Amino acid sequence: MQRPDPASIFGRYEFLVRRLHSLIGLLPVGAFLFIHFVTNFSILDGPATFQMRVDQIHSLGPITLPVVEWSCILLPIVAHALIGLIIVARGKRNLLYYRYARNFRYTFQRWTGVVAFAFIAWHVFDTRGWIQESWWVAHVTHPLGGGTFDAARAAATATASVQASGWVAAAYLVGVLACVYHLANGVWTMGITWGAWTSPAAQRWATMLCAAVGLGLAVMGLGALWGMATTVIR
Amino acid sequence: MNTTSNSSSFHRPIASDCQPGQRFYVRVLRQDGPRKRRYWQRFALEYEADMNCISVLQRIAENPRTDDGRDVAPVAWECNCLEEVCGACTMLINGWVRQACTALVAQLLQDRPGEIELRPMTKFPVLRDLVVDRSRIFAILEKILAWVPVDSYYDLGPGPRQSQEAQQMAYLYSKCMSCGCCLEACPQFLKIELEYREGETPEAYNARLRTANMRAYIGSHAIAQVELFNSNPIGAMNATERLDALVAEGGIQVCGNSQNCVRVCPKGIPLTTAIARAGRAATRHIFRKWFDR
Amino acid sequence: MAKPSVMIVGGGLAGMAAAMKLAELDCEVAVMSLTPLKRSHSACAQGGINSVNNLTRQLGDNEGKHFEDTVYGGDFLQHQPPVKEMADWAPRIINLMDRLGVTFNRTPEGFRDQRRFGGTLYRRTAFAGATTGQQLLYALDEQVRRWEVAGKLRKFEDWDFLGPILDEQGRLRGCVGQDMITMRIRAFPADALILAVGGCGLLFGRSTNSMACNGSAASRAFQAGARYANGEFVQVHPTAIPGADKLRLISESARGEGGRIWVPRKPQDPRPPTRIPENQRYYFLEERYPQYGNLLPRDIATREIFKVCLTEGLSVETDRMCVYLDVTALPREVLDQKLAGILEIYERFQGADPRVTPMKIFPAVHYSMGGLWCDFEANAAGGLNVGSPRNQHTNVPGIFAIGECDYQFHGANRLGANSLVACLFSGLTVAPGVVAYSDNLPGGDARDQTAALYDRATAKYQAEYKALLARPDGGPNPYRLHTELGQLMTRIATVVRHNAELADGYGKICAMEEKARACSLADHGEWANQNVVFLRALQDMFPLAKTIVKGALARDECRGAHYKPEFEMPAVEATDPAERRRQAEAWCERFADNNRRWLKSTVAAWSSDGEPQISYEEVDTRLVRPRPRLYGVVGGDVIEQVWKERERTAKAKAEAVPSASERGPG
Repeated sequence: MQRPDPASIFGRYEFLVRRLHSLIGLLPVGAFLFIHFVTNFSILDGPATFQMRVDQIHSLGPITLPVVEWSCILLPIVAHALIGLIIVARGKRNLLYYRYARNFRYTFQRWTGVVAFAFIAWHVFDTRGWIQESWWVAHVTHPLGGGTFDAARAAATATASVQASGWVAAAYLVGVLACVYHLANGVWTMGITWGAWTSPAAQRWATMLCAAVGLGLAVMGLGALWGMATTVIR
Repeated sequence: MNTTSNSSSFHRPIASDCQPGQRFYVRVLRQDGPRKRRYWQRFALEYEADMNCISVLQRIAENPRTDDGRDVAPVAWECNCLEEVCGACTMLINGWVRQACTALVAQLLQDRPGEIELRPMTKFPVLRDLVVDRSRIFAILEKILAWVPVDSYYDLGPGPRQSQEAQQMAYLYSKCMSCGCCLEACPQFLKIELEYREGETPEAYNARLRTANMRAYIGSHAIAQVELFNSNPIGAMNATERLDALVAEGGIQVCGNSQNCVRVCPKGIPLTTAIARAGRAATRHIFRKWFDR
Repeated sequence: MAKPSVMIVGGGLAGMAAAMKLAELDCEVAVMSLTPLKRSHSACAQGGINSVNNLTRQLGDNEGKHFEDTVYGGDFLQHQPPVKEMADWAPRIINLMDRLGVTFNRTPEGFRDQRRFGGTLYRRTAFAGATTGQQLLYALDEQVRRWEVAGKLRKFEDWDFLGPILDEQGRLRGCVGQDMITMRIRAFPADALILAVGGCGLLFGRSTNSMACNGSAASRAFQAGARYANGEFVQVHPTAIPGADKLRLISESARGEGGRIWVPRKPQDPRPPTRIPENQRYYFLEERYPQYGNLLPRDIATREIFKVCLTEGLSVETDRMCVYLDVTALPREVLDQKLAGILEIYERFQGADPRVTPMKIFPAVHYSMGGLWCDFEANAAGGLNVGSPRNQHTNVPGIFAIGECDYQFHGANRLGANSLVACLFSGLTVAPGVVAYSDNLPGGDARDQTAALYDRATAKYQAEYKALLARPDGGPNPYRLHTELGQLMTRIATVVRHNAELADGYGKICAMEEKARACSLADHGEWANQNVVFLRALQDMFPLAKTIVKGALARDECRGAHYKPEFEMPAVEATDPAERRRQAEAWCERFADNNRRWLKSTVAAWSSDGEPQISYEEVDTRLVRPRPRLYGVVGGDVIEQVWKERERTAKAKAEAVPSASERGPG
């Protein structure tokens, strides 16, 4: 019997890549977002509490922390984003003709993905300078005004970067909301992709569940942002 | 089984403000052949009782003259059953993918007075005017082994018994008429149109086209067919092969969950339920493949 | 021995059943079709498929009763062996379809569910929702695809069959087709050609048929020498939705569930139907046939609706004919659970909700009982010798006909839910016969023929095609001519037929045929030219139209769907018992006389002068003796009694004399 033609190299792993993309969106990237929001939300409890949370993270130590940061945060985000960009490029959005709520969510998932990626790239550069290697710091990060976060003076430097200008605050607002939507809606599609919710009724319930998750995350994220934008460090 | 089809929106009661003899226009996006220039033409028609887009095209065929009085070649289009069971007359009507036979002129004019717009489907290569080449849909059915592999056609007794519930679900999936609406509305399903290369034989071209078809996204109609045949007691005997096809390149993973398919399906097939169930089966299949062999 | 190569034209139920069976028998199979196979007209069949089953068997049913119902319903105009064999095979065919995954409705215990259909007392009809034909078609389409993937079968979809290729001995050697997109014409060498090309509803303009049912392929075979039989028997279904493009069927089950047919007593009463009070409604079927009411046999119901609208002027609308089919009084759950499918069709196409407003319906041409003449070989039991090359074989060696386009199974009137079983039966059983035929062909097989034979055929059709393209502008419009033909055929050759009209109509058809030869094209292009395909099909409608009309004109009787008021049998209306008996005896005498004269198949042959030549063929009634069909006949009881007595006497006489040797058909 004639079998389907052999797939292309990418094609052979397409299913794997797409499922991996779906998975790392939640674990670790989604989980990190949640932890990150919790940490930053603590600014509302005062700069000292925030400093304590940051110190807790940094207590991992100068070798462990970068390893964890790179393997559990940075690389997964980059992988998720790059695969995501390919997915965006391979779709042909048609919201103009098919104006359904789900189609809007599909389209918005792609927009927020791109926005979140751009925002995260800028945010990480602005606060951490991407790479902590001394040549990079001297020749790229500092001349471009990045790497402003100092773990030892966590509250002061973090609030300062948010309060740099109204534009920056606005960027944070958009970025945070984009991330939140992307995660919450991503969880919903993930549930379909992996077969957690199958029937239309289950998918409606899941929509509500994910909306609640998104709302919770938005409260956390915006609370953190509000704290960063309003806390004044003397 | 709950389906989220909105097919009820097709047949709202008609306000009878369309009178026989009333004049209206039909704008058709034409194309003389594959990859040729596209152009619009407008025809003026008179309303007749019970008119649908098929009778519109029949009137144009009878008298192919544009509203500015030019004699043109009649518009080419595809149709057969005229009662929305064969799937042939699928096209874009006022921008919306559907069958021309169930597109009633009175309703269309009620929604957009004065003019009806007809375009060919955009996800399939245009052969001429409103006729597109949908052979890819059938190629996809080959890829996913959409049949029950019986031993022979000799008399071997009755088929397996089935519950009413299983039959009802299978019947829903089995109504798929391969019209392509779900694919047209799917943002993840993209058009494939190849050009002949210099000195290429038809055989080589067809082989290349086949490869392209086999690698590209299968679409929700095919995912529902995998569910149909894998839930059939005999079909389930080669479910593994179908699941292999389902997770191959262009398989279920390409779905982006826009769920347009279920909204435009004229047969109300629960396509998104099929996608989620097939997703679950694919998850199980892949785990079994890696950890259970 | 080389594998037989078989070309099948038509990819509906019959064609695909033959294709998959031939592929299984290791033939080289090709299927040519006007549409992708999955879009064939078989998809339109709604009700179901008949067979004896375990349940009915225990209620006294058997294959013999299915057979008898079929020939009685068909007014005994069928040769009986093929019908007997079909009834015998029906349970096996349904089992096969079940194995192929057809989604037949189920009982709570998981068995196939069955419903009752017209013309029988048993629940013989298996069904898959309201789209049984579609479900069967898809199951076969899937099997055909499977063989295609296995490299055993090739499909030529969107190809127009132009004609058979015959050698000098008149034996089939292949056929010529045209790709309707590229317009390429090519020859297909083949050892056998199976025509499974369906009906010819488009001859009547609008019908319940699909647009591919234009009869052109059957007509081309007819013009090439195949005979056409019983063309005048055309079934008109009583209830269809009038449409500008097509007449869409509303299944009999609407009336089976309690739907009622009526018209306002006041002609063209302008009030909406729901405002017309009960006493101003004329339930004409119930009033005229109190016993059968709305569930009359199809032909009678159709005639009554016709009469009410045409003769009595009681049509619901002024500008067109229709009556109300009213299901508004039925309980909601019946409407939603049992009739949803058909109500949806009405709703979609009429934009009105039949649960609230009565449907407007009118009879429509539905099915052609007649078709290409074909042979059979009977066995000792009176069934078929399956595997014989004579089965389904037309008079042209190598051309077979199956499905709606053959004339074998339905006689003068088809029973509901019998067409699907006939298509599948003829498709599955033709295969071994075709293999037997292709074995040791005189003059070798298709590969042994000269290239010149195929080149000549291709060149002939190529020249005809070029001549069509080169037609000068300004001639008659083929689409309008088709409308004209359809209107004429519908008027003279459907429900009620009069010799004067038929004779006059025949002349008009000949004039139209002349006109068609001068029709011009609006499209002279050589790419996907639908104009050429249509005009060619239109031209080929005339030979069949003439055959139908000529056959109807010649047949001076009433039988099944063929009804001429002038030759209607009188009713037995006397009340005095002796007079009643005398009238019944006269009735039976006349009936027997009429059968001696007319219980014959009409067989038409195309002659070189462009006229169908009609002859008659005895009907093989070896199993069940013809008897009067007495549905709704006044005085039916006494006629039946007298007829039975006559039969007893005849039987006693026959037993005294040794019976004549068994007659072979054809």
